[in-house]
Amino acid sequence: MEMINRYVYAVAHRLPQGQREDIAVELRGLIEDMLDERLGDSDRTAKDIETVLLDLGNPKDLADKYRGTKKCLIGPELFDSYILVLKIVLIVVAVSIGAGFLIQTILEPFSILDHFINMIISIFTALPMAFAWTTFGFTMGEHYGGFKEKHLQNKEWQPSDLPGIPDEKGKIKRSDSIAGIVFYAIGLVFLTFSSNYFGVWVFNNKFTGVVPFLNEETYGFYLLFIIFIFGFGILKEGFKLVIGKWTYKLALFTLVINAISLTAILVMIKQANFWNPKFMNGLVESGLFAIGSEGFNIVSQLWGKLTFWLLVFLAIALIWDIVNGFIKARKTSNLMG
Amino acid sequence: MVDTNINEHLDRLLQELRRGTITLGVLSQLFEPRYGYSLVTLLNEKGIPIEPGTLYPLLRRLEKQGLLNSEWDTNEARPRKYYLLSNTGKEVYDLLVIEWKSIVTSLNNIISNGGNEKNGND
Repeated sequence: MEMINRYVYAVAHRLPQGQREDIAVELRGLIEDMLDERLGDSDRTAKDIETVLLDLGNPKDLADKYRGTKKCLIGPELFDSYILVLKIVLIVVAVSIGAGFLIQTILEPFSILDHFINMIISIFTALPMAFAWTTFGFTMGEHYGGFKEKHLQNKEWQPSDLPGIPDEKGKIKRSDSIAGIVFYAIGLVFLTFSSNYFGVWVFNNKFTGVVPFLNEETYGFYLLFIIFIFGFGILKEGFKLVIGKWTYKLALFTLVINAISLTAILVMIKQANFWNPKFMNGLVESGLFAIGSEGFNIVSQLWGKLTFWLLVFLAIALIWDIVNGFIKARKTSNLMG
Repeated sequence: MVDTNINEHLDRLLQELRRGTITLGVLSQLFEPRYGYSLVTLLNEKGIPIEPGTLYPLLRRLEKQGLLNSEWDTNEARPRKYYLLSNTGKEVYDLLVIEWKSIVTSLNNIISNGGNEKNGND
């Protein structure tokens, strides 16, 4: 009896809540009927029950038949790209954390234990995060991205609905998207786990420390922005990889993502407490130059304008990405028309 | 080696063939209410083998599509779900039978006229 209950449970718990009870009762009845037929009135043994359950087959397969469809988060159309992007992201994240550990150890060999512990923590935080983001992105793509070529699935399609073969110029190189993903993943890992190394490295004969660019006290809060921006970046490159050619939809999507990222960056770096307020002091204290020296004045001016120029460069890069997308999308669609 | 290969092909094709025809067999037996396992036995006796693991989900699917109605009988010791053709089901069944007969005629024609000539197995 115990075995029967386990079998029924194994099928039922794979089914939608609303059907579970009904199917469970029916299944139990079926098993009883099968036993009756095998044995008539004689006593049933555990062996008989096992034979009957084996006849019914793997509970997973039976549940699949009851459901009619296999459930999936990411369908076969996207699955290969998903695995590819996932591999890249996970490898890059793991390798950059490892590299971070090596660099830290070379710079400060005496705190190797700390570095090692940091590395372990980073791995356990970053890998699940990378996994989750990638999966989330592809799940969204699966359910809302319209990658399923709907016009080819609908009942009345016309041969003229067939999508054009993309022009060479409109194609997005796989290597470009992959390089993009690698870039964002490395950036993400670096800014998340080694932000204290993001600054001016001071060497007085040997490595003596870093004067960080960012304000360590407020960084935890801004990190959220940064994770979002880089996460969106990976998402964008992932879509490029999947679609493989510039389309208006993709260009529009790039526009939205880049606009959001640029706004977030703008808001973030405009905040007075984003940058390290003691940056100039730190440089002086580390002995790079004295207050009032020529070096001090130059760096001080550069530091003051940093926000502005950073924004200009980012804006150019992101806007170019958008313009490029639209130009190439137009080329592909001209060809199709 | 060759034999197992032929058997594999045969099994696979036979399975596909059965899968297509099984619905017709099931519908044909449901002019009176029956529960799942009695249908398995009945169809087996009539030379249409079907696994319970295939039939039970099929019955549910047909019910969901509106071709069958169902009712639980809880009077007996063992509660059983009885299935019966709905009105739509009856109409669909009648039309399906006509289609089936025309398929059988056409295929028989093809097989007896074309198939054997080439084989020369007469």
